[in-house]
Amino acid sequence: MYRYDEFDAAFVQERTAQFSDQVARRLTGDLNEDQFRPLRLMNGLYLQLHAYMLRIAVPYGTMNARQMRMLAHIARTYDRGYGHFTTRQNIQFNWPKLRDVPRILADLASVEMHSIQTSGNCIRNITTDQFAGAAADEIIDPRPVAEILRQWSSLHPEFSYLPRKFKIAMTGATADRAAIRFHDIGLQATTSKLGEIGWQVWVGGGLGRTPMIGKMISGFVPHEHLLAYLESILRVYNRYGRRDNKFKARIKILVHEEGLDSIRQQVEEEFAHLKGGVLTLPQEELDRITRYFAQPDYELVNQTTVDVAREKIVNPPYGRWLERNLNAHRQPGYVSVTISLKPVGGAPGDATDTQMDAIADLAERYSANELRVSHEQNIVLPHVKVTDLPAVYAALVDQGLADGNAGQITDIICCPGLDFCALANARSIPLAQELTRKFQSPERQAEIGDLKIKISGCINACGHHHVGHIGILGVEKKGTELYQITVGGDATENAAIGDILGHGFVADAVPDAIERLVDTYIARRTSADEPFITAYRRLGKEPFKEALYGNA
Amino acid sequence: MLDLALSPIRQHKPDKLRQLGIMSLNGMFDEMDGAGVLRQAVTELLPGDIAIVSSFGADSVVLLHMVAEVDRTLPVYFLETGKHFPETLAYVETLKRHLGLANVIALHPDPSDVARFDAGGDLWETDPDSCCHIRKTEPLDARVSGLGGWVTGRKRFQTAERGVLPHFELTADDRIKVNPLAYFSDADITAYKLKYGLPEHPLYSKGYKSIGCAPCTSVVAEGEDPRAGRWRGLNKKECGIHFDFNGAIAKPMAAQELNLFKDGKFIADPFRPWVEGDDPAAARYTHIPLPVFLDNRDAVLANPHPLGLLVSPGDKVELARGDLDRFVSIAINFPAFTDGRGYSSARLLVERYGYKGELRAVGDVLHDQISHMRRCGITAFVVRHEPTKKALIEGKLATVDIFYQPVGLTEIPLGTRPFLRRRAVENA
Repeated sequence: MYRYDEFDAAFVQERTAQFSDQVARRLTGDLNEDQFRPLRLMNGLYLQLHAYMLRIAVPYGTMNARQMRMLAHIARTYDRGYGHFTTRQNIQFNWPKLRDVPRILADLASVEMHSIQTSGNCIRNITTDQFAGAAADEIIDPRPVAEILRQWSSLHPEFSYLPRKFKIAMTGATADRAAIRFHDIGLQATTSKLGEIGWQVWVGGGLGRTPMIGKMISGFVPHEHLLAYLESILRVYNRYGRRDNKFKARIKILVHEEGLDSIRQQVEEEFAHLKGGVLTLPQEELDRITRYFAQPDYELVNQTTVDVAREKIVNPPYGRWLERNLNAHRQPGYVSVTISLKPVGGAPGDATDTQMDAIADLAERYSANELRVSHEQNIVLPHVKVTDLPAVYAALVDQGLADGNAGQITDIICCPGLDFCALANARSIPLAQELTRKFQSPERQAEIGDLKIKISGCINACGHHHVGHIGILGVEKKGTELYQITVGGDATENAAIGDILGHGFVADAVPDAIERLVDTYIARRTSADEPFITAYRRLGKEPFKEALYGNA
Repeated sequence: MLDLALSPIRQHKPDKLRQLGIMSLNGMFDEMDGAGVLRQAVTELLPGDIAIVSSFGADSVVLLHMVAEVDRTLPVYFLETGKHFPETLAYVETLKRHLGLANVIALHPDPSDVARFDAGGDLWETDPDSCCHIRKTEPLDARVSGLGGWVTGRKRFQTAERGVLPHFELTADDRIKVNPLAYFSDADITAYKLKYGLPEHPLYSKGYKSIGCAPCTSVVAEGEDPRAGRWRGLNKKECGIHFDFNGAIAKPMAAQELNLFKDGKFIADPFRPWVEGDDPAAARYTHIPLPVFLDNRDAVLANPHPLGLLVSPGDKVELARGDLDRFVSIAINFPAFTDGRGYSSARLLVERYGYKGELRAVGDVLHDQISHMRRCGITAFVVRHEPTKKALIEGKLATVDIFYQPVGLTEIPLGTRPFLRRRAVENA
């Protein structure tokens, strides 16, 4: 993975010193809260319900063991012994003290991490496929270009005060595991007619209160012109994105209101000026960065498969884990392992300092010192030898991290909700906990198969409820928390926004309502091989509406 | 040039009463009542303790005519630098005769200074500041340092820096500078000369609008700042005799704020804000809003005065791209620091349309955005936020001076590695 050179290190150090100065000026009152807010936000520091919250960037979700240990150290030293992995492939700490923040940032800098641009109206951390560089279905490893985009977007002087935040996601694989059609810009690796690899560019996707699926603005942009093309989009957005209404300020609204063709024309005009200029990416630079992401030294192993069917009989929990939590690797004899942060009754995405240390150990011993954070709030060991799986599993069992539920109904994406967040209207974590308890039976989960539940505690949709196969949105009506249920959302290449089928439910009624949806699906699916989302598309809303609200 | 002015005596602070006195004096006279100002200074304010310094240049005759009217025995110092046009020397004699000036005194540079610093006579070429210093500042200073004040012929319209000039200034060393012509425009000067039938400098008709020493004076083109012909091509606007200790025009009054941060220091801003109802054809030293300019393009282009252009969020700078050279300054308006549209405007102006004049940030200009603004090509800042001022003055801006992405014209030469990274150029 990428390693800081002297320049990167100096950059982060200067930034840390700058923010320390800003914190000092805030503490003395030279900066008022209005002036401090955008500065702290651009360093990932929020003011939440109970305390400051610090969001730390995990660039394109990639980490090594040393970095994970530092996160454990921060959780232990400055927080309450845990951290929360987010849908942005980042980690959040919920209880830091303002005066400690400069020290936390200095600690992070010592392991080549920072919190730059994890918030604020700027270009946020680039996200990508959690199996990048390992997945069997990959056209190209997206991480070198993601790193180049990280550098290009870091403290970009023109784009630090955009109309609103700006998120870029990319995938190098054919299957979209990074929800690129729901980002301000989505990049999909593609091959041109001439066989050259480049990028399909999608623009104007997003969730929040106005969910939209991104639209393809360019079918092919070669690597060398990608930065100029993105700078063109950002300039058009910076100049013409709406600033009169915070809720209409994302680029999706600009694209929607002006029309894709008009935006494309403006971008092309800008691009005509910028193309071939200083932003042209030379092949040597791409090669240089790519070398940082060289494949690990794989061993040639005799055993390339594992007999899941047999293990399910011999040791059912292990068998289930093997069945659900492995992803096909490009190297024979290797797999990528998903470590579920979704235990029954747990807060989705949370990990304790001890667990983080243990995960770091596993990465070091069994995964070429590499870790990934997935946008589904799990951790991935990307390069694990098939023969090491029993040892990895045993270690995870010791830490309570061995749930074999990846992609199942209890693998819930969930925002922090009203328990932490100043924006939330309703609690979300307790509901997720309740649902995992209701569906905790492994047999029941296996019967249901692939089903993604996503929960947001407010309309801002950090829990991606719009793209959950079943989505749950917390709203507040006359002082009561109500939960709106949507069905049929999909974050992948088959992008879809879930349908609202009727009125909301009080919290206590939600688990039963979900169960009715599940039962309807099981009763009507063509076979156990037809997943929930496919059945929903085939059957349409009606049976599910009836399941929720009866025949009235 | 300024080291001499930094002697301890010069840093003596004028007392409040005196400052108040100056302020009230400035309110006493009609803008065009130059003779009244001069009479007040010579007869009431500093009788026997004041002199006039004249260059005997293009416009000098107006003030000298007033001197002749008020008191023809007032000492008139002429800086005989040894580098004047012969026409200027002839003109001194012409005016003495014509106006009956009885006390014109030529001040020569110290011969030992000339021998030591300018033996070859080409110091003006290699180091014009030093040349001015030995030929103007030193001789004059020796003579006027004993006086309570002096009269100058400076006018507001002459350069951007002189745009705030009042009738009476209190200098940092507590002396009074009197500027009877402060409010005279180019047209007023011409009308005055015509009215009294005053003889012209022989070079005026040849295109010289502001005349100093021969080597450092050139012809001014139509529409140019009248003093543009002085030290052409050099970043030099004043010879040194008109600077206050901080390099700015002497404080006209106690309340004169130094808000414009430029070239590493705060100076008085010669520009005033555009006011609704200002006449685009006659306005001067103000930044015309871009939409107003577009609606009155012909009038603005015909306006002979120095002008700026105000670019606010939402303005399309490309619509003025062909006329940018007309403006000595372009102000990028940041009504709220969270509105980042100005960064794009600045980059387009500098990088795409090649604007080379002063590019300033106005509005909500705060500490933490200044380095971004600089990287986008902004070179001057109108600052009202006190902590930001303090940080700029003390050079304690918290910034990240290294960067990843090439922005602007200077950060990366074309054709090299775009990720070539280096420390930000120290651009004041």
